[in-house]
Amino acid sequence: LDPIFIWIEDSPLSRWVTGEAFPWILVAHTIGVGFVAGPNAAIALRILGVASAIPLRAMTGFFPVIWLGLLANVPSGALLLIGYPTKALTNPVFYAKLACIGIGLALITHVKRVVLLMDGDGAARAEARAKAMAWMLLALWAGAIVAGRLLAYTHSRLTASSP
Amino acid sequence: VIADLQRSIVDAARSTWVHDFVLSDGKIWPVLESLHYVGLALLFGTIVLYDLRVLGLAKAVPPSALHRLVPFGIAGFLINLATGLMFFSGAPDQYVYNAAFRAKLIFFALAGLNVALFYSWAYAGVRNLGAGADAPWRAKVATGISLVAWCGVMVAGRLLTFYRP
Repeated sequence: LDPIFIWIEDSPLSRWVTGEAFPWILVAHTIGVGFVAGPNAAIALRILGVASAIPLRAMTGFFPVIWLGLLANVPSGALLLIGYPTKALTNPVFYAKLACIGIGLALITHVKRVVLLMDGDGAARAEARAKAMAWMLLALWAGAIVAGRLLAYTHSRLTASSP
Repeated sequence: VIADLQRSIVDAARSTWVHDFVLSDGKIWPVLESLHYVGLALLFGTIVLYDLRVLGLAKAVPPSALHRLVPFGIAGFLINLATGLMFFSGAPDQYVYNAAFRAKLIFFALAGLNVALFYSWAYAGVRNLGAGADAPWRAKVATGISLVAWCGVMVAGRLLTFYRP
């Protein structure tokens, strides 16, 4: 894959990412973290019984915050990948991060459908399962954040052309 | 005078046991950073979500009940204060001589003053606010400031790395 990595890393876009744009792409990515993982945590806490006076269905009103966060995270993440393809794709931690995010997003949309929108409709019967999913959400988003932060420390190669 | 003060702050931080601890193992800094980001997400998922509701998002959520999440935001904040103080102790020169850190402190002070403003001047208007209700303008002003201040803290914090001496 090295020739592909070198081709990407030599592209003007990749050089722009790793150059002047780098700090601001990281800023966008960090704001996205707050707006994606934050509401996910709030929804999980509500399912676990915190602030139980909030109707579960009402928590769906915070989903636009998650989608807006993703609108910051996905393009900035893609740009960071274009900036440092070797660094990310040769690091197992990167795949762990992607798995946490993918499963986390699938789970939150599932939770919206079967827990939040089913509020008062057989909800008590499903409560134990809902709480298990809430704990999983907390673990997955914490995992995504920690894995993402550790990408700066765990890579074995920075670029394809560097040793 | 400022240069002397900066020098003495750096020296004082370097003489603490926290400084020695943070630098004693290369794995400590990444772990602290991870915790700092988890704390950030907790703060955004609670305080900032409350701000957004008061500003008019997700009106079906009663702010009176949503306020019960705030202690988790405070927990996130305390995680970040503790880890932040450890970063500072570990490499004080990277923060004392850093324009982004000064910006972060300004946004941080704004957030802190705004907490006092919110609870003394605006909270009475939203304490018992129920589902569907629109918040009074005072609460919207204070939560708007909160939103801007915490985003400012995060942006300046992320830019710290690029303003190191």
